[in-house]
Amino acid sequence: MVRLPCALLFILAVAVATPFLPLVEVPAAKAAATGTVRGRVEFQRDQAPAERRPQVADIGMPGRRDVPDQRVAVVYLESAPRGAFEDRAGPTVVLDQKNENFVPHILAITVGTSVEFLNSDRTYHNVFSLSKANSFDLGRYPPGRAKAVRFDHPGIVRVFCEIHSHMNAFILVFAHRHFAVTGPQGEFRIDGVPPGAYTVSVWHPTFTAKSESVRVPEQGGEVEVTFVLS
Amino acid sequence: MIRSTAVLVFLLADVALPAGSARGEDAGGREPKRITFGAEAVASIATDDPGYFNDTSYGRSAMRLARLRLDVALRLGGRASILAEGRADNGEGVTVAALYLRLRPFPERSFDIQAGRIPPVFGAVARRTYGVDNPLIGTPLVYQYLTSLRSNSLPASADDLLVMRGRGWRTRYTIGSTAWDRGLPVIAGDRWDTGVEVRIGREPVSVTAALTQGTLSDPVVHDDNDGKQLSGRVEVRPALGLVLGASLSRGEYISREAGRVLTAAPPGESYRQEAAGFDLEYSRGYWLLRSETVVSRWDIPQVQRPLLTDRLGSWGTFIEARYKIRPGLYTAARGDHVGFSRISGTLYGGLPTTWDAPVSRAEVGAGYSFRRNLLLKIAVQRNWRTGVAFGARESVAGAQVLFWF
Repeated sequence: MVRLPCALLFILAVAVATPFLPLVEVPAAKAAATGTVRGRVEFQRDQAPAERRPQVADIGMPGRRDVPDQRVAVVYLESAPRGAFEDRAGPTVVLDQKNENFVPHILAITVGTSVEFLNSDRTYHNVFSLSKANSFDLGRYPPGRAKAVRFDHPGIVRVFCEIHSHMNAFILVFAHRHFAVTGPQGEFRIDGVPPGAYTVSVWHPTFTAKSESVRVPEQGGEVEVTFVLS
Repeated sequence: MIRSTAVLVFLLADVALPAGSARGEDAGGREPKRITFGAEAVASIATDDPGYFNDTSYGRSAMRLARLRLDVALRLGGRASILAEGRADNGEGVTVAALYLRLRPFPERSFDIQAGRIPPVFGAVARRTYGVDNPLIGTPLVYQYLTSLRSNSLPASADDLLVMRGRGWRTRYTIGSTAWDRGLPVIAGDRWDTGVEVRIGREPVSVTAALTQGTLSDPVVHDDNDGKQLSGRVEVRPALGLVLGASLSRGEYISREAGRVLTAAPPGESYRQEAAGFDLEYSRGYWLLRSETVVSRWDIPQVQRPLLTDRLGSWGTFIEARYKIRPGLYTAARGDHVGFSRISGTLYGGLPTTWDAPVSRAEVGAGYSFRRNLLLKIAVQRNWRTGVAFGARESVAGAQVLFWF
């Protein structure tokens, strides 16, 4: 129930706004002076990881698996400078599958990035997504192999395994490069932000999204923001 | 005429109390208590099935089923769980389809014990309980089709049995209950037996064995004949994506109601269902292939002439394939047959005749997932019953919506 507003906010902010560039005019001569938006995301309560459906028809206890860290969020600029959208040549990143768990659980990439879904488990996996912007189904493939998908449209891509219903991951595809995934202590850092006024937002799969307004001064420097998710 | 079976609304949940905060979940003894829920709602519509090819042992058509089910797992640490499944089919009230205790006495070893109303160890289909595990709407014949044999009403002669060929949906005999009722499937895929089972090993080899009250064709909650069924299965995974299983079972199937009438039976005589099965599953890429063969035979008393001199045999086999066409869309097909052994009476010119009418089915269909947990299936099946005048062949078309959490 909480995810829908987050997803809508994200899509509105990133996907829908993209055609209306420039959102923030940054004179080319001043582009060299950039700032940093940094801070922390604090969680006021724990989130339970996705549980297996009760396997009533199984005989015996289910096998060992890992569960993802739920205290990870993505912080991003809702409005980004023009130049940020021109950097479309995304690299290839790896989303691994280990112990029936996607690693990382949340991945943030730019449009044009290819994601290699590596199978590091001892069993088949079948990665798929029915997200409208980037649907795919990689079929069943064995350990040690990877299959790649290029993400050409901004939005939130929910990723699942057809064989293991508890496995899920989120891929946030941004039209610009001004975003960061939080670290172990909730810290984040978005570098290379040109001077200007921005709205900084935080996204989490289950918490309600939050936004703050910041201004990166003309001379650059660091701007600090703290988000508290409750 | 297409008849709607139900409209579904279901309260769905999948929660954990309290949340496990660990990064690793294991089967050891460090897990906190927690309860998880899973729910599924299924609604099916289908054209008429006047030959009752899809009727199940519960008296419902597998093609016209509206089912709400709630699965619950209460984990009592890492060594024990209580699992239960409640169902409400076609608005006929709630039944407890499963309720058992699962124990792992040695947390680091793959040795499990389950006791209560437990999942069957025989074969593979009966443990595919979630609707998404079935790519089509119909159930394989060997797990669903009603033969003319019953556990509480027995034919006195070969002619009694031959008269009921192809009438498994409504049959009766002279020994035991004389009321009209449904016959037995070879395996009752949607009913679970009551007893104790153990599993040793997991991959690549596991062995399971169960001691239960009923039989494959007639699972029961309360023992109805003082006999027990012993069943077992060996599962081997020799390669990735390949699962091979071999199963055996043996149990007394004639109920006390019919058995007490068998005055001619010598003391200690028992009438058993014995079955052997082989199943296979292979998957790779966008393909999933499954097949299963089951051979079963039932002891039958010899009461009147013409005598039923041999045990009644049946064999059933199916092969099923699913192919994913694009994300969210797949197509599937299944070929299915159940055959029966021959007996001789005075009917059919005294020639050896199968004691029930052999039945075949071809079913093709497709599924489309609107969301990960919202699936629409459509399927068309053609059914054949050999050597009967009524309900010899028919086609059934259906659609099913499935929603789960």
